[in-house]
Amino acid sequence: MSQSISMQEASQAQPAKTYNKNWQKVKSALEGYLYLLPSLIILTIFVFIPIVTSFQLSLTRIAPFGGKSIDVGFENYTRLFADPEYLNSLKVSVLFTLGVVPGGLILAVAMAIALSYPLNHLSWFHRLLIFVPIVISSAVTGVLFRWIYHPVVGYLNYLLSLIGVEGPLWLSSKDWALVAVMLAVIWRQLGFNVIIALAGIQNIDSTYYEAAKVDGANLWHRIRHITLPLLSPTLFFLFIINIINSLQVFGEINILTEGGPGGATNTFLYSIYYDAFVGTPFRGYASAQAYLLFIIILIMSFLQFKGFGKKVHYQ
Amino acid sequence: MKSVFKTLTLLLILSMFIVACGGGAEEPAPEEPAAEEPMAEEPAAEEPAAEEPAAEEPMAEVITIEFWHAMGGELGEVVDELVARFNASHDDIQVNATFQGTYDDTYNALLASFDAGTEPNITQNFDLAAQTMFDTGRLVPAYSFDDFDPNVFVPAVRDYYSDENGMVGMAFNSSTPIMYYNADMFAELGIDPPGLDTTFSDMIAKCDEIQAAGVEYCITFGQVGWYFEQILANSGGLYFNNNNGRTGRATEAVFNEGQGVEVFTFLSGLIADGYAPNVGKTWTDTDAVFQAGQAAMIFDSTSGALGMQEGADFEVATTYIPHSDSSDRNGVIIGGAALWLIDSGDDAVNQAAWEVMNFLAQPEQQVTWHSGTGYFPVRVDMDDNPDLQDFWAENPNFRTAIEQLASTNTTMADGSPNYAVLGGKAGPFPAIRQFIVDAYSRVLDDGMSPQEALDEAAEKANQELADYNAFFE
Repeated sequence: MSQSISMQEASQAQPAKTYNKNWQKVKSALEGYLYLLPSLIILTIFVFIPIVTSFQLSLTRIAPFGGKSIDVGFENYTRLFADPEYLNSLKVSVLFTLGVVPGGLILAVAMAIALSYPLNHLSWFHRLLIFVPIVISSAVTGVLFRWIYHPVVGYLNYLLSLIGVEGPLWLSSKDWALVAVMLAVIWRQLGFNVIIALAGIQNIDSTYYEAAKVDGANLWHRIRHITLPLLSPTLFFLFIINIINSLQVFGEINILTEGGPGGATNTFLYSIYYDAFVGTPFRGYASAQAYLLFIIILIMSFLQFKGFGKKVHYQ
Repeated sequence: MKSVFKTLTLLLILSMFIVACGGGAEEPAPEEPAAEEPMAEEPAAEEPAAEEPAAEEPMAEVITIEFWHAMGGELGEVVDELVARFNASHDDIQVNATFQGTYDDTYNALLASFDAGTEPNITQNFDLAAQTMFDTGRLVPAYSFDDFDPNVFVPAVRDYYSDENGMVGMAFNSSTPIMYYNADMFAELGIDPPGLDTTFSDMIAKCDEIQAAGVEYCITFGQVGWYFEQILANSGGLYFNNNNGRTGRATEAVFNEGQGVEVFTFLSGLIADGYAPNVGKTWTDTDAVFQAGQAAMIFDSTSGALGMQEGADFEVATTYIPHSDSSDRNGVIIGGAALWLIDSGDDAVNQAAWEVMNFLAQPEQQVTWHSGTGYFPVRVDMDDNPDLQDFWAENPNFRTAIEQLASTNTTMADGSPNYAVLGGKAGPFPAIRQFIVDAYSRVLDDGMSPQEALDEAAEKANQELADYNAFFE
């Protein structure tokens, strides 16, 4: 887009014959749209049309056996707000994000700082150990943690029993299931977060640190007053990416708990998937949920951009 | 630098919208599978064409039958073997079998294909979806073919997939639940293994004995809806009104009365009282508990009998599932999945698809299928088959499984059908099954009584039934 605008300006600036000028304008605009066309076509088919059809679907009750539907107006929406399971899924999503994003980021930044200077003599092998979860898919993470969390023959409860602690029912009790899924997701995302944070730290000009050292700042002061403020653009980036990822989390939930027990890990995204595609499909109801999710995220992105965007310290 | 971040942030915001739409974008699934389908069709259409003309003038056109199934991994290999056998023995019909993922995936692809007009000729769908399959109105029932002989099928299997006129879908992979036990452990502890006819009280007494002898858990089972359905049937209890939805559309769940409460009190009590570990909703995590010797018994599917023995370093034996104290043993409901013939609008093609289904039901294929997968043979005339005799001699656990089904009491004393063991039939049954899963958590996590948990499940089930039945008003 910015390309085509600058080309327009360039063509306007050139002294040319007037009848050519308009044609040039149209031509360059057309050219610009031509560049946009491939992505516009893809976005239209896969995003814009589904946005419209999914709204239409949300106003109907579609027969699970296909071929029939009943127009129900906004009944799907009114039912959603009266459905304790749906309200619970909103709560679960919020709790999940509140746990995974700050938890994951604090851990990642701490590790990145540790890797960057106090422990910068760590071998490539140690770094590899931290980064390796990046290449592991969420489905594999799910399977791995299923074994780790198994209540009878799992590794985690076995290790806990060695120190005399009776481990909880990680995946099959309401109190622990969400925490267990959070830990699995934090672990999978840790490598990515650490890499980005580490890159951000290494980008900070060493002269700041030298100046601080001359002024007698200790390690904590340097981290607090140099690293963290100058890392804020990176942190903002990670913050947004992590929020997106945790709202989108699917693989771990599908494999570890299927939203259970009793809806304790049923995030709103999983709830949409479950209602639309599992067992008896309720596509109208699922579409209504998808639409509400769309609105919720729209509002959230707006607030996030307004609120946090300004506090970021750009170099 | 600043502008770079600004663009980056804008991009991120945009991508968040896409995240938001992601859920919505999934809804009109029709596009996706429909787009995949031609890929599956093309090679099939080309293959016979490439081979045939070389032989002679193509007198009769080759009919290609699209067969969608949900049998992955080793099961899928056996399906492919059977399909290859069919193709090798038929010049005029060629089957193109495609693995579609889970039953849910296969069904969603089917729904999408109805919209796109690219439906397969044969599709596989699981037991609970029987009513939904009927309601698609797109099936050609098995009974409509001249050479269909209902008498070759095991009655329980035939009746399960029947409407009021006869068998509609053809049972393909059939299984029932069974109680496996660690025979070596029982021998070592000097405890008699459970008999074939076990009541809940017998079970609890046995469990007390086992755990008093130092075994961690008496039994293990996953909190899926299936064991409740089956033990309810074994206790003669109904799941839905209108005779389990078999003499009219089910309009109400009745599992929260009488036998249902007894069964659920027993099952949730096994976990609550420490006789069984709380492994949550799982089909597979229980195996490790049993195979590690942490539990003496396990409820599981008969189809897993081969794997259950292979994974254990002790002798695995089997017996029938228990029933309530206030009932006699009724038997089990046939589970698993069936093949459904989708109307192509062309009689010749339908006939060809039926030939494929009929071929799969022949003794030779049934032997391959049973010994390769552990799923039941669905014919009544298999008992004297020498190959199966050999197979059963080596794997006596299948013998128990087949006898449990064969001894199922399908007719009441007054000659009417035993609707309990025919199993529930209702459109939204797959969704309703999940309410029973949730009921476990209501009892174990939230301290509800089994009765309260079942009442809540029944209330939700009734809403589902009402919503579904509204399509027929």
